[in-house]
Amino acid sequence: MGDCSFGITGKDFVILASDMNAGRGIIKMKSDENKIRALGPHLAMAYGGETGDTEQFTDYVERNMRLYHIRNHNALLPPAASAWIRRQLAQSLRSRKPYAVNLLLGGFDTTTSLPHLYWIDYLGTKADIPYAAHGFGMYVALSTMDKWWFEGMPKEKGVELLRKCINEVQSRIVVQFNFNCILIDADGVHQLDLSASDPIADLSRAPEKAEVEVPNPIIAAPA
Amino acid sequence: MGSPMEYNGGSVVAMVGKDCVAIATDLRLGQQSIGVAYNFDKVVAVNDKLYYGLPGLATDVYSLREHLRFRVNMYRMKEEREITPKTFTHLVSSSLYEKRFGPWFIEPVVAGLPQPTELDPHPKPFISTMDTIGCITTPKDFAVAGTAADKLYGAAEGLWEPDLEPDDLFETISQTLLNAVDRDCLSGWGAIVHVITQDKVVTRRLRSRMD
Amino acid sequence: MSDAPGGGGGAYSFSLTTFSPSGKLVQIEHALAAVAGGDTSLGIKATNGVVLATDKKAPSLLLDTSALEKVAPICPNIGFVYSGMGPDFRVLVAKARKIAQAYWKVYGEYPPTKVLVQEVAGVMQKATQSGGVRPYGISLLIAGWDAHRGQSLYQVDPSGSYWAWKASAIGKNTVNGKTFLEKRYNDDLSLEDAIHTALLTLKEGFEGQMTENTIEIGIVTCPTADQLVEKPGERLPPTFRKLTEAEVRDYLAL
Repeated sequence: MGDCSFGITGKDFVILASDMNAGRGIIKMKSDENKIRALGPHLAMAYGGETGDTEQFTDYVERNMRLYHIRNHNALLPPAASAWIRRQLAQSLRSRKPYAVNLLLGGFDTTTSLPHLYWIDYLGTKADIPYAAHGFGMYVALSTMDKWWFEGMPKEKGVELLRKCINEVQSRIVVQFNFNCILIDADGVHQLDLSASDPIADLSRAPEKAEVEVPNPIIAAPA
Repeated sequence: MGSPMEYNGGSVVAMVGKDCVAIATDLRLGQQSIGVAYNFDKVVAVNDKLYYGLPGLATDVYSLREHLRFRVNMYRMKEEREITPKTFTHLVSSSLYEKRFGPWFIEPVVAGLPQPTELDPHPKPFISTMDTIGCITTPKDFAVAGTAADKLYGAAEGLWEPDLEPDDLFETISQTLLNAVDRDCLSGWGAIVHVITQDKVVTRRLRSRMD
Repeated sequence: MSDAPGGGGGAYSFSLTTFSPSGKLVQIEHALAAVAGGDTSLGIKATNGVVLATDKKAPSLLLDTSALEKVAPICPNIGFVYSGMGPDFRVLVAKARKIAQAYWKVYGEYPPTKVLVQEVAGVMQKATQSGGVRPYGISLLIAGWDAHRGQSLYQVDPSGSYWAWKASAIGKNTVNGKTFLEKRYNDDLSLEDAIHTALLTLKEGFEGQMTENTIEIGIVTCPTADQLVEKPGERLPPTFRKLTEAEVRDYLAL
């Protein structure tokens, strides 16, 4: 699998990063493919796996998260969303043609003000952990995270750790990767520009510029 | 992909003591040789007298746990009582056999103390284990399952003795688990031990080698 | 709708049991009338068991009464008796036995009395709300023993309502039977006393001679701790059983 994605939680945020390659086998057809999807005002996932399955499954998840939001006037919180997504994959696993999709689910629980990160694979395996990687990242960057991650990280340190991980992948893996990155905090989902010298400072300077389009339904207040 | 039973790794052991039982699990969740999580608890409480562990394929650990929670909650409401260890074992077994030709890749271990009743004021501590399709074994001494099962057999065979008091049972099961998982590259990364007695459950987290 | 008991199902399968403008389900009242016209059955709960008794008069001398069965064992710990329509009873007995075995298959033990009662009451209720079917024309008395609640006696009506009783009578002469039971019942009745009270109650308003051929008796006996210990290769002794004709004859002679 040619994918690579990372997830890092900190004191009041979670970062998701995903590679941007699309292709088949040894052929790269695209290097600017977005493989992170916002699922709600404070929820997003970075995904990889069988092309086609990934799009179908993420669409399915996104529409269902939105449906829940419309029906209940409240978005599903990260723990419940993780349970629902896991169940879909576990049920799919024992069907005729299972979805081959791995994902990192990141979210911010606005009721407890706590960040959440879930490592979920196509089997429906779920791990609730503070930092995680899928694909190539698992081989070369998990140890980097083991060494540098610490409890209650501020955003700047989170970006610093992500850069260490990306550096590891780019220097140790034969495949060339570009990375796309988002950050979720109490204010919602934001795009992080990793080419900037200080993406966090840019974020606080012009937050509206970093806003990610979110499937956030506009619901009329009851009369 | 190799065997589903060895894909994520993990082990569970249960032991009988004098008017007490203990059940313990490691905390590793892996993807073959890669460690993914060190907080993957494979032991769940049904109530404060009955625990069970589900070592095997992690996705099925979740699915089966959710299925059993549903069945036990329905049982509790319909029957207006707590399920006994023996009845629960049969429930797990029939749940597994329901999927005889496309099984859950899990080998459950059950440990519990039956509630004393008028007709049976001194019930014996109960442990049981099953294969992936629900064939029940009810050992008198200990039950092991998971990727370190073979090592656990050796360690338990050497350390276990009859009529251990709760504190000694804790020591015995802890040493059995720790020494067995240290010899298994797919198990380890910390452990949790529960010792169940009639008046309380003592739960302890064990530190272990993190390699 | 398609799973309606006995009903054909489909979009045009309407329930035959519908509300009258006054809010009654007349079909159920008719079913109760069928019960009230049936032969008397009764049950008494004792301190150490339960007794079920019924009148099984044959309409003709030529009938072989030994082949008639009105008291039916459902599983080793539960038995049924009924008043009303015999064929409906046999259908419910078959369903109840299947429910009990299905329970055994999952839990490795037979259902507690209350659980079986609820399941059977559910079956009877379904017949009042499903398309193309009529309610069952019987009331049941259900006696059983289980480790959780001990001995118990229940009545289930065609509507699916159920009650737990200390003693009850259904069928013909219910009012007289119940009055008689109210006078004779007390909380420390033994099973032997209860069997005799059952026979006396049945005798009130019994037409003709009461013999081992014209009545049937089933009993629940509470097991001792010793009897609940499983021995290898052996089954636990049943807690519900029917009295043999010889046993009934002995009780009648006393």
